[in-house]
Amino acid sequence: MKVPFRHVLVYLDGSEGSINALMYAILLAKSTGAALDAMYVVNTKAIGDLVKSRIFIDQERKEFLSDLEKDAKRHLRHAERLAASKDLEITSVTKEGSPHHVVMDYIKNSGVDLLVIGSVNAIRSRRDELTSENDRMLRTSPCPVLVVRDQDDIWAEFEEV
Amino acid sequence: MALLDAIKKNLIKVPLVSTDKDGIIEELATLYASEEGLSEDKRKEIIATIEEREMLGSTAMENGIAIPHAKIEGLDKVSVVIGISRLPVAFGAPDGKGTNVFFLVLAPPENPSEHIQILSSIAKACSSQLFMRMLLSSKTKEDVYNLFFE
Repeated sequence: MKVPFRHVLVYLDGSEGSINALMYAILLAKSTGAALDAMYVVNTKAIGDLVKSRIFIDQERKEFLSDLEKDAKRHLRHAERLAASKDLEITSVTKEGSPHHVVMDYIKNSGVDLLVIGSVNAIRSRRDELTSENDRMLRTSPCPVLVVRDQDDIWAEFEEV
Repeated sequence: MALLDAIKKNLIKVPLVSTDKDGIIEELATLYASEEGLSEDKRKEIIATIEEREMLGSTAMENGIAIPHAKIEGLDKVSVVIGISRLPVAFGAPDGKGTNVFFLVLAPPENPSEHIQILSSIAKACSSQLFMRMLLSSKTKEDVYNLFFE
């Protein structure tokens, strides 16, 4: 583990929680001088599984793939704009696959030493199938993970700095 | 948004009373519309959208479960309506068998990521034979709800 952190990765999934995580990561990178990467993973694994199990037809596979690619562009553009508003340059990364696997591989191969994610769910079920991607990342990350809670007043702090 | 965030006790119906595919879709959509206070036009729009999607290919799988789903304009979050039928209903499963467990998934078009995540979680949970047996033996909506949150 490196201290202080030099290479931070924030995972974006389009949720409000991940936007909070992004703002926190920008403030953190700005104050520590660490490099910041923002990543969106187009979940082609889930789409493939839904096609295999006949829940999706081919038309939906194409439609949702296109929707997710647009979503990735939109969220990463937003991340770049937010970072630029704090005079920070970030690296935007779009990948495809199973989000937690892709993020773990990226951490290992790119020398990331801190992962920032939005809130994880409270444990409400013992069923592993209902575990979210954020939960999986928290459990399996090879580097330290910073979880930004939804209730944190990040917006106000981001505006103030 | 995780699947458990979308499961609400008031959006579960056990047993369903309809005996055919169109009736099941209408029963689930009507429960949703009634609980969400939607207009009659919106209720009809949901039913028509789901039926159009099912005409392209049934969402029934071989394990007695079907996941009819659609993007619906104007919704603010992904919702899941769960229904269990005592008798198997012909829903177009590939093995020709009837379907007993129905998850109606309605999502706003703006968040494809959550839509996929919820469909995927339902499929994963229902791939467990034990879970399916417990779901099928549920007598009340409380039984179904508790099964997810135990």
